[in-house]
Amino acid sequence: MKEITLNFDGKACKGNLGDTILEVAQKNDVYIPTLCYLKGLSPIGACRMCVVEVEKNPKLLTSCTTPAADGMEVHTKTEKLQNYRKQILELLFAGRNHFCMYCSQSGDCELQRLAIEHGMDSVRYPFLYAPFENDATHPDLMMDHNRCVLCLRCIRVCAEKVGAHTLDLQKRGWSATVCADMGMKLGDSSTCVSCGACAQVCPTGTITIRELAYRGRRKDCDDVVESVCPLCSVGCKIKAYVRTGSVARVEGTGTESPDGGQLCHMGRWWLPESTERERVAVPMIREGAHFREASWDEAMALIASRIKPAAEKGRAGALVSSLCTDEELALFSAFYRDTLKVDIDTFDGDILRGFVKGFEPFKAQGVRPFTGAHNILDSDLVINLCADPQDEAPVVASYIRVAVLRNNARMIFIGDMADPFDGLTDVGIRLADCKDPTFLKELAACLMALAESRVDLDGMTALDSYAGSLAQLAGIGGISLEQAEEIVKLVAGAKKPVLVLGKSRAKNPAIVSAAGNLAIAARSFFGDGLGIVPLVSSGNSLGAVNTCVSNEPWLRTKDLDFLYVYSTGMIPEDEDSLAAISRSGFSVIQTPYLVRPLVNLADVLLPAPAWFERSGHFCTIEGERRRLNVIVPPKADLKGLSTVLEGIAKDLGLTVGRPGSAPCEQFFVSSVSPELAKMAAL
Amino acid sequence: MSKPKIATVWLEACAGCHMSFLDIDERIVDLLDKVELTATPITDFKEIPEVDIGVIDGGIGNEEEKHIAQELRKKAKIIIAWGDCAVFGGINTMRNFMSTKDVLEGGYIHTASTVNPDGVIPHGEVPALLPQALPADNVVKVDVYVPGCPPDADTILYVFQELLEGRMPKVPSDMMRYD
Repeated sequence: MKEITLNFDGKACKGNLGDTILEVAQKNDVYIPTLCYLKGLSPIGACRMCVVEVEKNPKLLTSCTTPAADGMEVHTKTEKLQNYRKQILELLFAGRNHFCMYCSQSGDCELQRLAIEHGMDSVRYPFLYAPFENDATHPDLMMDHNRCVLCLRCIRVCAEKVGAHTLDLQKRGWSATVCADMGMKLGDSSTCVSCGACAQVCPTGTITIRELAYRGRRKDCDDVVESVCPLCSVGCKIKAYVRTGSVARVEGTGTESPDGGQLCHMGRWWLPESTERERVAVPMIREGAHFREASWDEAMALIASRIKPAAEKGRAGALVSSLCTDEELALFSAFYRDTLKVDIDTFDGDILRGFVKGFEPFKAQGVRPFTGAHNILDSDLVINLCADPQDEAPVVASYIRVAVLRNNARMIFIGDMADPFDGLTDVGIRLADCKDPTFLKELAACLMALAESRVDLDGMTALDSYAGSLAQLAGIGGISLEQAEEIVKLVAGAKKPVLVLGKSRAKNPAIVSAAGNLAIAARSFFGDGLGIVPLVSSGNSLGAVNTCVSNEPWLRTKDLDFLYVYSTGMIPEDEDSLAAISRSGFSVIQTPYLVRPLVNLADVLLPAPAWFERSGHFCTIEGERRRLNVIVPPKADLKGLSTVLEGIAKDLGLTVGRPGSAPCEQFFVSSVSPELAKMAAL
Repeated sequence: MSKPKIATVWLEACAGCHMSFLDIDERIVDLLDKVELTATPITDFKEIPEVDIGVIDGGIGNEEEKHIAQELRKKAKIIIAWGDCAVFGGINTMRNFMSTKDVLEGGYIHTASTVNPDGVIPHGEVPALLPQALPADNVVKVDVYVPGCPPDADTILYVFQELLEGRMPKVPSDMMRYD
């Protein structure tokens, strides 16, 4: 990349050819005011706050859209520019209703900050007082067009990062307003995924989150802590704003990150709401139909007395949530599996076992059998295998939409439910049953035969086998030969296909292995591994795979005298697990929240720190080990998992050993390039 | 030399800006050593004398307010606009999205809490509404703008002190606020 040098107000600044003037300025800490510009979104030069003077150029240039050239003499703060910028601000204030005293965003507003910065103490233009609507149809968001400066950040983030294309502009000039779905109200939109990205990027009080009217503005908050969202397998990085000891708001990180700083509806709303939920405050012991409060010592002694005979008889178990950190899971396995020799598993163990066993043939070769979820953005063909990403991992759905709508990737859907991306999919195959791997096997066989026919000089034998394979594929999928060929051609023609594998059907390892084989046949290779994005269930599912997932299921079949359950209370427990807990002779339930019916099944109920009171690491399907940080210190008499387990161990005369399981990075290790992966025998 | 005279008027606004002025607390004693407060809502003198500094608190919404603002302009050498109502029009401008007829009917007839079976709208004895509520500088020339809802007491005092030092003040960014 060629380096260039520009002078900003006489200061020599280096940048790269291809940078805009603004990018070079920001790299060199030269301040240029901006309003519509947001790093990571395509610059549009709409607000003209970032105008600069460039010598030998008679016009003012918007620095966000003008490419920097070597030797440019740029002036950023001349009197002329200050006057222009102030004039722009006055026109914006005169254009719509920007009266700060009754705006919920006063103090957080970028327009207000710029006006104050530019010393705007009055407006020289007549106010227009044009009435605009206030769209309050969405249950969580408000859109007040009176506050809009038409920076189009919301429209850009919705299209470029979320891929929903819900928001757009209607009408022209000063009458222009942001609208949803061809002029609908936001609440009536069928494309809005309620992720709240538009409200996060809105510089004024136009798109706001209702709850934040009482939770508080950013400026009211005392602290901002970076952490990670535990709610799905993507593990989005979050910024949590703390106000008077509770999490007031949660936002994504900057728009320049691969995920565009977006969160989904779960992270945006469920995380802060969870701080208001009813908590388990003290240890409680069941007495008949009621609970009574107990001390930690009494509760731990009771647990120790119950666990010992049960463990000796092999009738004890321990169940843990995969929303726990790697450190918690390691401790859990060290104590229960390695020290007490008790069966352990996670709530989503069945799904994870499917992935573990299905991926094993590839892991054994040293190949990492999956790729970071954001690599979907680099792909030119998305193969959706029985996945409903909007439900399972909404940000992955955003990646897919952006790949298809903006990057012109093609999409194939193979599943036994309705196509979640109906309308975006090029070819959809409705299978009778997703648990049956034969279609995937045959598709892989077709691709191999086609590849062979290209190197086979004689050609005929390989072509015959391709034709046979194709006929079989059509037969299995219940599709015509033409459709079968279309799929094979799409996959074979793709340079970088990626497979998105849904969790619901992954309980069958054969499907997972068949997906791996298909990835190899389709030459779906990424820098970090095979091109499969497995939608495992929660924030640290990949970490749980290495530590707490048992080899064989036991929860549903085993008779238990004792069951220890550690739930994070963020995702409702599945019915199978609840049934097993209620069958167990004695259940200890440690959970932060009064989650029903789970807490009703407890014989001993222990409080636990919530997601914002714990720290540790998550292994995410973004292919990164991400850190969960303590956002608010635990209140009341909370004890973390390690203190509780050590207390129980002490009562038993044992010590919690060192975790025998490897940390979850092990799951990310790749010693062999994915190109060298061999297909698994099915 | 006699002390500079100050007059303030309270037009279409809440009393917030004057309250904020009183929030300078004990510093008002020092200020009164240097200036003379004449007609203000605090002193309640009815006639505005010739003054050095005239302060307008509030927007201009009716004929009387327009008249008072113009009177003050004639009698004051320097006019300060206090607060968002005087500077930008403020909360009064919410009515500018409606016609004056709708505003009056809304206020005197259609409001749920109003009992007015004959639908009487006062006229004659009360000043007539202007078509729109306006910032002060739409009616008279303003020399110093002090935005804020209300401006901080420190800002109000700063502006007086600057004027007493013989400088025409401009509220600096770190003191400026619109809410």
